Amino acid sequence: MISAEELVGEEQAEWYSMTPMERWRESSKLWEVYLSMGGSLDPEPDTQSPFFDPEAPSSRPVDGRSGLRVVRRGGV
Amino acid sequence: MGGQACVLYGAAEFSRDMDLAILASPANLSRLRAVLTELRAEVIAVPAFESKYLRKGHAVHFRCHAPEVNGLRIDVMTKMRGVDPFSKLWQRRVTLRAEGGSSYELMSLPDLVRAKKTQRDKDWPMIRRLVEADYFKYRGRPMPQQLQLWFLELRTPELLIELASKHPAVCRRLAKRRPLLKFAASNNSSGLIDALSEEEEAERLADRNYWSPLKAELEQLRHARLRRG
Repeated sequence: MISAEELVGEEQAEWYSMTPMERWRESSKLWEVYLSMGGSLDPEPDTQSPFFDPEAPSSRPVDGRSGLRVVRRGGV
Repeated sequence: MGGQACVLYGAAEFSRDMDLAILASPANLSRLRAVLTELRAEVIAVPAFESKYLRKGHAVHFRCHAPEVNGLRIDVMTKMRGVDPFSKLWQRRVTLRAEGGSSYELMSLPDLVRAKKTQRDKDWPMIRRLVEADYFKYRGRPMPQQLQLWFLELRTPELLIELASKHPAVCRRLAKRRPLLKFAASNNSSGLIDALSEEEEAERLADRNYWSPLKAELEQLRHARLRRG
C-alpha cells in the first residue's frame, strides 16, 4: 500500500490525518497570523472564473499585492 | 461549499472567502438578507441579489464591511453545473458540530467534488486532494458508497491502480461508468495519466459551454450597469 507520506509528503499527510475540527482549529490559527501580518480578506482576482469581472470594485491595494508585509528577512 | 468546506474535508489549509449554496426560496432569501445586512455586506459586480439570477445558475458576490469581517467576500449560489438540485444536496449534507455549540452544514463530499469540476485550474488539484484525504482515512474499512466515490472520482493514478488491485470486481463494474478504470485494472500508469487528463479537459470544456450563455448575460448586465452610471 502506498502511504500518504510517500505520495504527498509529511505535511500534507498530517493534514489529511486530522479530524475536520482539528483542521478548523489549525486553519483558524493561520487566519490569526495572516490577519496580524496585515493580510487582506479580498481573494486574488480569479481570471479563470466565469464570474470574473475586471471592472468589479476591489478593496485590494492598488499595487495588487496581498497586503502581507515582510516583517523579517534573513536566517533564523 | 467552497474553500471552507475544503478545509474541513482536508484538501485546503486556508480560505479567504466564503461560498454558500442556498435554497433560493423567498423565506430563505429574506433570512439571508437579514444576515448580510448585519454583516454590512454590499453586492459587488453583477448580478443583483435576486432569486431569478440564482435560479439561473449565477452567483451573487458580496463584500462585508462590518468591523469584525471587514473586506470578507461571500459568494452565494443555488445551482451548479452537474450537481443535483439544492433539495437533494441538503438531504445529503454533512453536519459538523464544533466546540461551543456551533454547527457547519457542508455539502457532501461527492457533491462537493462534482461542484468543483469547473474550467478553473485551481479546482482540479483540490478535487484530487479531497478524494485522496477520504481515501487515506477510510481505505482500511471502506463502505460501498466510498468505494464508488473513489473509483469514480480519484484523480491520483497510483491510488486508482492500488484500489483496482484490491477491488477488481467493483472496478470492472464501475468501468462501464468511467472507462479509464480499465487502465487502472491493467496497471497501465501512462494510459491512466493520459485518460485522466482527457477526462479533465472534457469537464473543463463542458463547463465553458455551460457558462457561455450565462457569461453573455453577465456581460449584458455589466453594460446595463455602466449605462446607468
